[in-house]
Amino acid sequence: MDLEITPGEVHALLGENGAGKTTLMNVLVGLVRPDAGRLELYGVPFDLSRWSPAAAVRAGIRMVHQRSALVPAMTVPENLGFGDPRGGPWFRPRRAREAAQALARRYELEVPLDRPVDALSPGQRQRAEILRALDRGANVLILDEPTAVLTPSEADALFASLRRLRDAGRAVVFISHKLAEVERIADRVSVLRAGRCVASRPARGLGAAELGRLMLGAAAVPGAGPVAEHPPAPRGNLPGPPRLELRGLSAAGPDEASRLCGIDLAVGQGEIVGVVGIDGNGQRELEEVLAGVRRPTQGEIRVGGAPVAVAPRPLRRAGVAHLSGDRDSAGLVPGMSLAENFALKGSYDDRRFFRRGRFDRAAARRAVAQALRRFSIVPDDPDFDCAALSGGNAQKLAVARELDGDPPVLVAANPTRGLDVASARFVHELLRERAAAGAAVLLISSDLDEALAVASRLVAIVRGSLHPVPPGSDRGAIGSLLLGAPA
Amino acid sequence: MTRALASAVAGLVCVAAAIALLGYAPGPALRALVAGSLLGPAAWTATLLKTAPLLLTGLAVALCFRCGVWNIGAEGQLLAGALAATALATRGPVGAPAWLLGPAAILAGALGGALFGAAAGLLRSLRGVSEVISTILLNFVAIHCVALAVQGPLREVAGAYPQSDALPIAAQLPALGRVHAGVLLALGLALAVHWLLFHGSVGFRLRAVGLSPRAARFAGIAPERYGALALALGGALAGLAGACEVTGVTRRLYEGLSPGYGYTAIAVALLGRLHPLALIPSALFFGALEAGAGAMQREVGVPAEATKVVQAVVILLSTALSVGRAGSRRARAAEAAR
Repeated sequence: MDLEITPGEVHALLGENGAGKTTLMNVLVGLVRPDAGRLELYGVPFDLSRWSPAAAVRAGIRMVHQRSALVPAMTVPENLGFGDPRGGPWFRPRRAREAAQALARRYELEVPLDRPVDALSPGQRQRAEILRALDRGANVLILDEPTAVLTPSEADALFASLRRLRDAGRAVVFISHKLAEVERIADRVSVLRAGRCVASRPARGLGAAELGRLMLGAAAVPGAGPVAEHPPAPRGNLPGPPRLELRGLSAAGPDEASRLCGIDLAVGQGEIVGVVGIDGNGQRELEEVLAGVRRPTQGEIRVGGAPVAVAPRPLRRAGVAHLSGDRDSAGLVPGMSLAENFALKGSYDDRRFFRRGRFDRAAARRAVAQALRRFSIVPDDPDFDCAALSGGNAQKLAVARELDGDPPVLVAANPTRGLDVASARFVHELLRERAAAGAAVLLISSDLDEALAVASRLVAIVRGSLHPVPPGSDRGAIGSLLLGAPA
Repeated sequence: MTRALASAVAGLVCVAAAIALLGYAPGPALRALVAGSLLGPAAWTATLLKTAPLLLTGLAVALCFRCGVWNIGAEGQLLAGALAATALATRGPVGAPAWLLGPAAILAGALGGALFGAAAGLLRSLRGVSEVISTILLNFVAIHCVALAVQGPLREVAGAYPQSDALPIAAQLPALGRVHAGVLLALGLALAVHWLLFHGSVGFRLRAVGLSPRAARFAGIAPERYGALALALGGALAGLAGACEVTGVTRRLYEGLSPGYGYTAIAVALLGRLHPLALIPSALFFGALEAGAGAMQREVGVPAEATKVVQAVVILLSTALSVGRAGSRRARAAEAAR
């Protein structure tokens, strides 16, 4: 990965989740030591074998994180003075306040100086973070999705401040998903994909479609997922009657972007509908609602035409199976055996394994032994601790469990995350098989290649709303749709 | 198994060192310790009488730990059980058939402990109060409730000492040779808890919650509910220990009834690796230590508290070893995911 950042410019970094943005930034601020390569600042090479957070600070590289790293109970001047080696062991409140004020004036970063940080608005807190970075002499200021927590007017103020910083000769690195912002603020755009910097160009004249194409790639980088040239699944063939319907579904999320607002979607018998989007636009929330662990604030789920209570057990009884790439937390219980994990979801109503308050271990062993053979899971010992399974085998076990009993509806969220190519292909084959057998499959995926390869129809999820992807859209068009550019 | 033995042996070595540091000859002291706990019927009686409450409270702790709930309140739950059993036996309804009094007192003990555990459980599930804090604090509540009771409503009619009246014979646990039936009850409950955890559907869900609350939730199991249930069940087990103490050993309620069984219980549970059947030898080990410590103090003059070193060592070693194991497991999983 090569990247050049010039003083006096705002440099935007674009990339899908998993493209390497975070890793790159962690390298720059010293949290991750690179395996190879060189780092030069103003032409001076740095010794990367001794690269550390302290070295990054000395070099003048500062990061403003999405989550505030200020002491909430302290005022801004106190936060600036906190841990500041200058001034020796003493903290001089008046001098600190004057220094903070001077700095704030210089860059027009207005922040209340006498209130504790936790009484400030998110925008003010962010300005305080920037102030602290500047106070310690930041030459390179890195902002990680800085507008995620801001209102539009606060974002405008932030952009004005960033421009002033740029004009003062500092380098600003701006990480974002939002195309419109990048077009507004950036002087230069670098696009990361699968750990490489695939383009670094002046921002002027770059269109949304071009950026979308750069970001999502014309062809998949080898090893970055299933092959993109896979013949797309037949599109436009008439699906059967709707099996799974979401009507006006809304649900709360951790932030503005991931809140679900009025989702309508119908998945027909034999259909695979792919929900694609940039991570953090409500995919996780949608998955959790469909698994029954997040209560919708509005709307309902219908299975086979009948409304179903949004809770894990009713949904499962109605025939909705849930397959998640989030293995560690959602799917399997480490520390329980393969047999126990196979029986886990039926602990209330599966009479094969649980009868009259008793867990029939022998029955679970027999059932899982069959599944282990069918899916060639290694090792095929029913009493093996699930925690020691490899990623691929664990996911196969989860697939075996969820497909057990041929559920009519299957919700698969990033079902191949972390799997090698062969295992991923195996899972995709099973999804197609289920659809061919008449199941309705909803595939929520942050891997566009996967969705293109498997789904018969795509919908984009952007800020918690669904937008149909017109059949025959190319990557560029899909990319700009996902980035929220006006169609 | 080897790990448990190593912890126990390391603990004993530290006790010997502590005795030496206190200025006593370790040899005679340890001899007194062994003689007072294992040699002869009287020693075994003392050991078994200590083992019963340790096993019951150990099960209380282990059951909760299995569900991911840190129950540090077995002591308070034990006292609540003792209090409830005494209240029923000495102030219960007059005219009830005598044969009913014994079982009723035991049941009252279980109920009292369960209520005490459930209090922490409800605080946790409804308000998100950390059970570590609430169970520890409830221990003090229980200690003071017992003090209040024996100086007030449950004080003996003669009124000489701050203690309850002697329990009526009908309320006392039947004797089994030199020990009381509570020993048998504790053994039976160890088997029952083992069955519940590994062959019962409630125990299956309880373990799932303890190992991965998020996966349990996706499987339709409400982790909050099971956390509260574990605390209530654990409270009932510890409450039974208290009921057995007053109906089988002390025959009265008074302050300082328990020499800290509920705290030693944590070491019992950890040494037994939270396995109900392994808790039996583990409780026996600590029971013998408790009994032997008394003999050591009487005969050699070494303070009985010296043996508490074993608990500390066992708790530290068990937690350090299990943390190490979890760490290596995570490392393996991360490696496999790569």
